Amino acid sequence: MADYDRRQPGGGSGSGYNSRKRRYRDDDEYDRRPQRRRYDAPLPVRIRKQLLGLAESPLRRWHEEVQSIAQVIADGHDDQELQTSFLDLVPQMVLEQPLKIPFVAAVVLVVNSLKPEVLDPLLARIASATEDRAKEGEWRDVKLYLKFLACLQSCLEGSGLFPVLDELFNRAVDLQTASSEDTIGTELVKIILLTIPYILAAAPSAESEQKAAELMDKTDIIASEPHALQVLIDPYHTEKGTESPVANSSLIGLLQKQLQNEASNGWPLSCLPRPWRMPLEEIEQQEKLDNAQKHALPTISLPDKVTTGPRPLFPEIYYSVYIHQDVESVPPISNIASSVIRDALLDTINVLHFNRNVTARFLIDADCYFAPGTFIKRATPFDRLRDMDGDRSSWKPEDVAVDAVFSQLFQLPTPEHKLVYYHSVLTEACKIAPAAIAPSLGRAIRYCYQNTHRLDLELSYRFLDWFTHHLSNFGFMWKWTEWVEDVNLPDMHPCKSLILGALDKEIRLSFAQRIKGTLPEPYQALIGPEKEQDTPEFKFNNEHTPFSVEGKELAALLKRKAPDEEIQPVIDRIHSAALDQAIDPLVTSTDVFMTAVCWVGSKSLSHVLACIERTKDRLLDAGAASEAARAQIITAVMNYWSAHPGVAISIIEKLLNYSIVTPGAVIDWALVGDRAGPYGQALSKAWVFELVFHTVVKVTGRLRQVVKGGVTEGVQEEITAMRELFKTMDDALSSWAQGTKDQLMDPMASDGDEDLVKRWGERWLRVFRRRSVIEEAFLNENQAPA
Amino acid sequence: MRLGVRSTVDRLDAPSAYYHSRNNKRRRNDHGRDGKDGREGDTDMADAKPEEPPEDPLRNATTLYVGNLSFYTTEEQVYELFSKCGEIKRLVMGLDRYQKTPCGFCFVEYYTHQDALDCMKYIGGTKLDERIIRTDLDPGFEEGRQYGRGKSGGQVRDEYRDDFDEGRGGLGRAIQSERMRDSERNRERDTHHEDDYGLR
Repeated sequence: MADYDRRQPGGGSGSGYNSRKRRYRDDDEYDRRPQRRRYDAPLPVRIRKQLLGLAESPLRRWHEEVQSIAQVIADGHDDQELQTSFLDLVPQMVLEQPLKIPFVAAVVLVVNSLKPEVLDPLLARIASATEDRAKEGEWRDVKLYLKFLACLQSCLEGSGLFPVLDELFNRAVDLQTASSEDTIGTELVKIILLTIPYILAAAPSAESEQKAAELMDKTDIIASEPHALQVLIDPYHTEKGTESPVANSSLIGLLQKQLQNEASNGWPLSCLPRPWRMPLEEIEQQEKLDNAQKHALPTISLPDKVTTGPRPLFPEIYYSVYIHQDVESVPPISNIASSVIRDALLDTINVLHFNRNVTARFLIDADCYFAPGTFIKRATPFDRLRDMDGDRSSWKPEDVAVDAVFSQLFQLPTPEHKLVYYHSVLTEACKIAPAAIAPSLGRAIRYCYQNTHRLDLELSYRFLDWFTHHLSNFGFMWKWTEWVEDVNLPDMHPCKSLILGALDKEIRLSFAQRIKGTLPEPYQALIGPEKEQDTPEFKFNNEHTPFSVEGKELAALLKRKAPDEEIQPVIDRIHSAALDQAIDPLVTSTDVFMTAVCWVGSKSLSHVLACIERTKDRLLDAGAASEAARAQIITAVMNYWSAHPGVAISIIEKLLNYSIVTPGAVIDWALVGDRAGPYGQALSKAWVFELVFHTVVKVTGRLRQVVKGGVTEGVQEEITAMRELFKTMDDALSSWAQGTKDQLMDPMASDGDEDLVKRWGERWLRVFRRRSVIEEAFLNENQAPA
Repeated sequence: MRLGVRSTVDRLDAPSAYYHSRNNKRRRNDHGRDGKDGREGDTDMADAKPEEPPEDPLRNATTLYVGNLSFYTTEEQVYELFSKCGEIKRLVMGLDRYQKTPCGFCFVEYYTHQDALDCMKYIGGTKLDERIIRTDLDPGFEEGRQYGRGKSGGQVRDEYRDDFDEGRGGLGRAIQSERMRDSERNRERDTHHEDDYGLR
C-alpha cells in the first residue's frame, strides 16, 4: 500500500491533477510506478501449474498445450527435480482429476515421441500403484489407472492392456460362480467395460477390435444377467403390476449393449476426446507419434484374494431425471456416451469431495473434456433444442452435469459421501452459472415431483431435504404457482405430502412469516397461525385443562430450579387425583411434568436440554416404569411442539441419547397407534418418516460402531435388539400395507383413502426391509463368527 | 500413500490461518475468537517459523466456530442445517457480553472429527438464514468464550464496521454511538436556535 501511494518525483505533482492516473501522462513518459518484482517460478512449479490446468480453457488448443508441456519435460530430461515432480504428479492427477486423464495421457505420448526413456519409470510407477490399489480394494483407483493406461495403449508392446483386462475377467468369473450375490465380480466387469472404449479410441486397429470383441463375448453372460440385488436398490418403487422405468438399466447391462452397438458401427466413440491426434498442420509430430518407441507394460498382478474395500459394493443402475423428455437433452441410454460421460463425472464428483467449488467448476466445464461437438453450446435454453438441425447434438452440458449429481443423491443404498455434499455441489454450480444451471434444476425438480409417488420413499425424503436446503441458499424462490392445483389434494396424496413436508422444512431453516411471503395465496392456509408463534402455548395456563394448577406449579418449580423434593409432592397430588378419576396416575403425571419441561425450556434447545439434564433422573424413572409412560413422554413433546415438528424431533433425539425413551418406544409411538396421525395418516407425514428413519439410523449406526470397534461384550444383545426393532416395524408396516390394521378395518374411518394408506405402508416397508437386509449383510461381513 | 501429499486442488477442510497464527504470535489466553472476521494487519507474522508444536490441537477437533450469523438466527435453525453433517453434541450460541443476546457467532460441537471436517467442506461458505456463514475448526469450547470481545459487548468486527448490516444490528457500534452523540449535540444546538427566535 505504502509503495503504491508514493508520489512520483517530477511526475507533475503540483500540476493540479492526480498524476498517478495514467491517462494524464504522455505516452512516452517514463513510467516510474514501482513494478511488481518479476519472479520466474522454478521449472517444476511452472510445469505443475500447466499440467494441472490442462484442457481447462476452451480458448487454448489441446495439441498446443500438450506439445508445449511435453517439450519441456523432454528437454528437461536431465533435470532430476523436474522428472521427479512429473513422475509424482501424473499418477496423482489421474486419480484426482479424472476428466483430464486423456489429456495427461496425450502429454505422455508426445513425451514418448521425443524422449522415450521417460516412459519406463512412469509405467512402472503406474503398474505398481494399480497393484497396490487392487490389493486394498480401491476399485475406483484401479479403474482410473487402467483408463490412463488404456489411453497409452498405442505405445504399449504386444496387446498392451488387454491381458490385464483378461485377468480381471477371470477373477470376475470365479467370484460370480461362487456366489450369485457377489458384487466384486460385477464391479470388475464394469471396470473392463469402461476401459475398452478408451483403448479403442487411443489405438484403433483391427487387432484391438478383435481383442475387444473376444472380451465382450465373455462379459456378456455376467453383464446381461440382472443382478440378484438389483431389486433392492432400484430407485423406483412402482405399484404392483407396473414396471420400474429403470428395470432394464443395470449399468453393466447397458454398457454391454452400448459397446456392442459401437462395435457394429466400427467404434466411432464420437464423444471421447483424442488429444493425441494432431491436426493436419502438425503432420510431423503425428508421424513421430505413430512411429514412437513401444514399451512393455510391467505385469500388473491381482491379489490372490480380492476384497470389497472400504465401501460395500452394490450393482449400479443408470438413473436420469432427463431421460423421458420428448427432446434429447442428455445422451440416450442406447449411446455409449451416456455411460462414459457419466462415469467420468461421477468419479470427479466423488473424488473431489474436499473442494466442492472445484467440483462445480468441473461440472460446468464438462464440455471442455469431451470431443468437440459432443454438446450443444452452454446455457442453450431447453426450448431451443427443438429447433436444432438433425445432425447436431442437442445434449445440454448442464443437464448432463446435473443428472450426474442427481444420480448420486438418488443412489441406493447410500452414495459415497454425505448427502449434503451433493447439495453443496449443486449450490455452487448454481452460483457459478445460474443462467445455465437453474433452468436445468427446475426441470429436474419437476420430474422428481411428478414421479414422487413411484420413487422409493427414502429417496422422496432425500429429494425433499435437498430441495428445501437448496431453496434456502437462493432466497426460497420457487415457482409454487405450478403446483397450485395440488394444494387442494388430500394431505395423504404423495404430491400434497411433499408440499407440506417442504414448507415445514423451509420454515425450519428460516421462519414462518418469511416462508409465507414466498408463497402464492392458495398456499397461505397451509401455514397456520400456530406456526408463526415462536413459543407454543402452555396448555396448563388454561384453567379448563385438567391439572392446570399442578402444571403451573411444576413449571414454576422447574423455572427456579427447585430441588426434586419440592417437585415430588406435586407429582403425588397428581397421582392421587388421577387415581380418583380412574386414569393411569404415572401417565398423567408424566404428561404434566414433560409438558412443563418443554414449556420451561421453550426459549431454545439449549434451555430445554438443560432442563432435561436437571430432571433426567425423574424422567428416566418414569420412562423405565411403564411402556405407557414412555410413550407419554414422546406424546407430550410432540404435542407441545406439534407446530414445529423439527424441534420435537431434536428433543426426542436427545431423550434417546439419555435412554429416557427407547428406539422401540419411538417406533411404536409413530407406527403402531394413532398418535402420530389418525387412520394411518402418520405414514404420509414427512416428519414422521424423519423421526423413524433417524431413530433407526441411530440404532444401526451405533451397532456398526460397536462391531467395527471389535467389542464383543453385549454385542449379541444389541444385535437382538436391532432385529427386534426391525421386526416390530415390519409387523406394524405390513398390517398397514395389507390393510389389516384395525384402524383401516374400521368402516367409519376409511373414506376412500384406504388405498392411499396401503400404498404408504408398502413404501415404508420397502425402505426398512432394505435397511434390515443391509445391516444383516454388514454383520455377516464384519462379525467374527461367535 | 496419499497422506501428506499435497492435493492437486486445495482442500476446504483445512483450518484458517487464524488459530495457528494467533497461537504462534502471542500466547494470550483470551476468550472468544471473534475479530477474525474483521482481522486486519493480523496476517503478517505467519512466516516466522515456530518450534515444531508437540501436537496439532486441531488434529482431532470436533468443534467448529461459526461466524457471520444474523443476530436473529436461532439455535433451532443452526441445528437444522448443521445436523446434515452429523449429530450435534453441543451448541453454544455466542452472546453479547452485556445484553446476553445472540451476537452473530456460535460453536458447534460434533461427536466425531470427520463430521467437523465434513461440515467445513459442505456447509462452510453456504447460506443459513440467507447469510453466507463461515466455519473454522476450533480446538474446543471453553467457558467464557461464548461472549463477544468487542468494547460494547458484541464481536470485535461489529465495533468498527462501516456498512449497514440489518442482520447484525445495522451500522457498526462505534459509528452508531458517534452518530448518537452527534445528533444529541445537534439537538442541543437546535433548541438554542429555536429559543433564540422565541419559538418556544
